[in-house]
Parts: sequence; C-alpha cells; structure tokens
Amino acid sequence: MSDEHDRQDGAGPLEIEVEGLRKSFGRRDVLKGVSFCVPRGGFLSIFGPNGAGKTTTLRVLATLLAASGGSVKVAGHDVREDPMPVRRAIGFISHNAMLYPDLTAQENLRFYADMYGVEDREARITELLERLELSARRYDVVRTYSKGMRQRLAIARAVLHRPRVLLLDEPHSGLDPRAVDILDGLLTEIRDEHTFVMVTHNIAKGLEWGTDLMIIEGGRIAYEHAAGVDHESFSAVYREHVHDGSVM
Amino acid sequence: MSGWAQFKAIVRKDLIRELRTRDMLVSMILFVLLAMVIFHWAFTVKGQTDLTYFTGGMLWVTFIFAMLLGLNRSFAQEKDEHCLDGLLLCPVDRVTIFLAKTVGNLVFLLIIQAVAVPVFALFFIERSLIGDLPPFLVVLLLADIGICSLGTLLATISMNTRSRDLLLPILFLPLIVPLLVAATSATTLVFADGAGFGTVASRILFILGFDAVFLVAAWGTYDFAIGE
Repeated sequence: MSDEHDRQDGAGPLEIEVEGLRKSFGRRDVLKGVSFCVPRGGFLSIFGPNGAGKTTTLRVLATLLAASGGSVKVAGHDVREDPMPVRRAIGFISHNAMLYPDLTAQENLRFYADMYGVEDREARITELLERLELSARRYDVVRTYSKGMRQRLAIARAVLHRPRVLLLDEPHSGLDPRAVDILDGLLTEIRDEHTFVMVTHNIAKGLEWGTDLMIIEGGRIAYEHAAGVDHESFSAVYREHVHDGSVM
Repeated sequence: MSGWAQFKAIVRKDLIRELRTRDMLVSMILFVLLAMVIFHWAFTVKGQTDLTYFTGGMLWVTFIFAMLLGLNRSFAQEKDEHCLDGLLLCPVDRVTIFLAKTVGNLVFLLIIQAVAVPVFALFFIERSLIGDLPPFLVVLLLADIGICSLGTLLATISMNTRSRDLLLPILFLPLIVPLLVAATSATTLVFADGAGFGTVASRILFILGFDAVFLVAAWGTYDFAIGE
C-alpha cells in the first residue's frame, strides 16, 4: 500500500500525498495545481487570506468535496476511488461544530460512535467528556451550550473513533481562553499519535504546532518551509506573499 | 461497522430529534386537520352532499402537501447546523443515508395519517370502513413509500440549492402526479364502491412499479445528489 511509501528524504511514510490538486466551482478555479505531502506524525500548518483555497483543500482531503483534477491520497487511499478507509482514518474539526443542537451531548456522541462503529462506545464517550470537562452537562441538549462548550464537544466528536489524521479548520476560532487551553492540551496529548493538517489565520498557533508551514494564495502554494521560523520572519514572509497582508 | 447499525443510528437520531422538537409533526398535523375542516365546510355549505367520490382526491392532496412541509424541514437542520458535513464525514454508504432518511420520513407520514384518517372518516365517510381497510392500507403504505422515496431524493437535491423551499415543490409535484392519480383512484374505488384487492390490483401494481423506479433511481444517484 502506498501508506508504506517512504519520503525521498527518508523522513518516514507519507500519510497525505497531494499532487496537482485542482478544484473549480463552475468557471471559478479555486485550486490551481496544489501539491504537497505530510509524513506520518507530521503537522502541516496552512496559512493564507480568505478565499485562497485553504478550506477547499481541507474539504477535498476530508472527501467532502470532489477534486476537479490531480490526485489526493490520505492514509494510503485515494480519496475519490476509495473514500471509506479515508473517512475512517480522519477526524475533522471545524469552526462549525457539526452537532445536532436538539440532541444531548451524550446522544450526539452515541450517534457518531454508532456511525463509526466504536466498540467501547460508552467508555470512550465517558472518557472524552471527562477529558473535555463536559461530564456535568452530558445530558443537556447542545442548543443550551456556549460556543466554547460546543467546540469542545466537536473535538470529542472528531477524535471519538481514534482517527490517524486530524484535519483542523480554524479550530481556535471563536474559542474562549479556557477552551483554547483545553484544545491545546488535548492536541499536546495526542500530538505524537496523529498526523495533522491545520488551516489557520492564527500565525502564532500555526508556528507553535507546525512541523511544516505553507501559505496558499490565489489557489496556488505561495510559500513552503519546514518549521523553525520565528513569528517576525514569518509575518514578513506572509506580508510579502499575501496581497492583503493582514496577520494575527 | 455495519450498514444496518448505521441505518438504525440515523433513524433513531431523526426520531429522537423530531419527538423532542415536534417541529415537523406539529406543522404537518395542523395542516392536515385544517384542510379537513375547510373541505368539510366547503362541501357542505348547501346542506348534506354525497362526498364519497371526492374522498380519494381530498385525502391524497392533503397528504402530499403535508409531506412537502415535512420534507423541507427534514433536511433543514442537517444543512443549517452543518450536521450534513458530520454525516458525510462518517464511513457510511450514501444509500444507507437515503434509506434511513426515507424510513424516517415514512414514520412521520404514517403518524400524520394515523391522526388524519379517523378524522377524515368522521367528516366524510358515512358508512363503516372496517371491511375496506385491508386494500386501503396496502394502497396507503405503498403510496407512502413512493412519496417518501421520491421526496427524500428531491429534498436532498434541493437542499444544496439557494432556493430549496421553492425548488422542492417544483420538482416534486409534477413527478408525484402518476402515483397520486393511481392512489387517488384506488382510494376512491375502495371508499365509494367498497372495491376489493381484485378491482384495485392494477393500481397497486402501478404504485409498486413507481416505488421500484424511484428506489432504484435513488440507489444509483444518491451519492451524487447528496454531494456538493
């Protein structure tokens, strides 16, 4: 299987391979030939202005959008030809919680656990709710939750089935400081066991977590670099490559 | 994980959500009861009239429009709260989603009919319906399967459009007409003439064929329909 393919530089097997990815919505070309790879255990931080194609890239990786061209493999499987193993392998955290507001936290997690076939369902739900400090509210409907609580529950939903790859779309967006701490704590705990791709406007967070950095602008990769760049230098690079130049 | 477990999980989730909020059921039941009352007063304004030959039409027109209300709601939350993305991220065959959504809608339609048919009989049928129930129930169930399978497929397609509330009836109503004609004439024959299975067999077969066509169509196209 291709997940056993080694990188040319010997950094280990590749978990994500994207080659010449193109995506169009009607006549509008959103991605114009994006290529990158992420080794197993890597953390790719993707930056770029709104509309650059960052989220579209993530949604293609997650099988939520079909590519117009190019090839995309996640966990060794082509996302178009063989999407089921890809879906089993990924967890997706977005600023949209993807939770049913009229179900309780427990009912939401039970639903997703059944959809993923989680065998130790009740134990896993209890473990995650405790870890994310939501146990006391597990029987409350999600509609009554704050934004931060919903986002924490969304993290539980995303990692419930123990995915190998986590796709993070602006995960810190709209979170209160406590929720940011909990998210970062959880990411620290699971950092070594997973491969990550994170789309973010938050340069500090992207630099803190990323082993590889990428800027997408106008549907193309404008900049790629391994981690180790300081905030000031990267902000300068960002301003140089991105037309609107606003950085956090 | 098995498709059966996923099917049960989706149906259970939809039932829990609806029984908790009742936003589909309440609007559908209110519409059906209101339609019955209006039909009753409209047709009896000049004294007692024999309505038995209108019964099939009144009943099925009411059910179709009540179902349109429900179909619009059944996907609204999936889309509005981005729950559809969560569902599509799961390793589930898209046909399983279609079947589960269809069965959920079928359960809601049957609940509406369990309330509406006795009220309808009270208002419009002057004789006992006990003997007519077996052929009527077969027509009802088969027509419901057709309504829900076509409705679920079209609700899924229209969900991804900006004008989904407008598009669904535009697509649904013309396509459901053949089934509606067969179900209406079969129901009228049963209620007005006391027709048995032999008399309405051709209509039942037609409804079965309609169900098969749209179940197969959904089977083949649902992956595309529920995608981007």
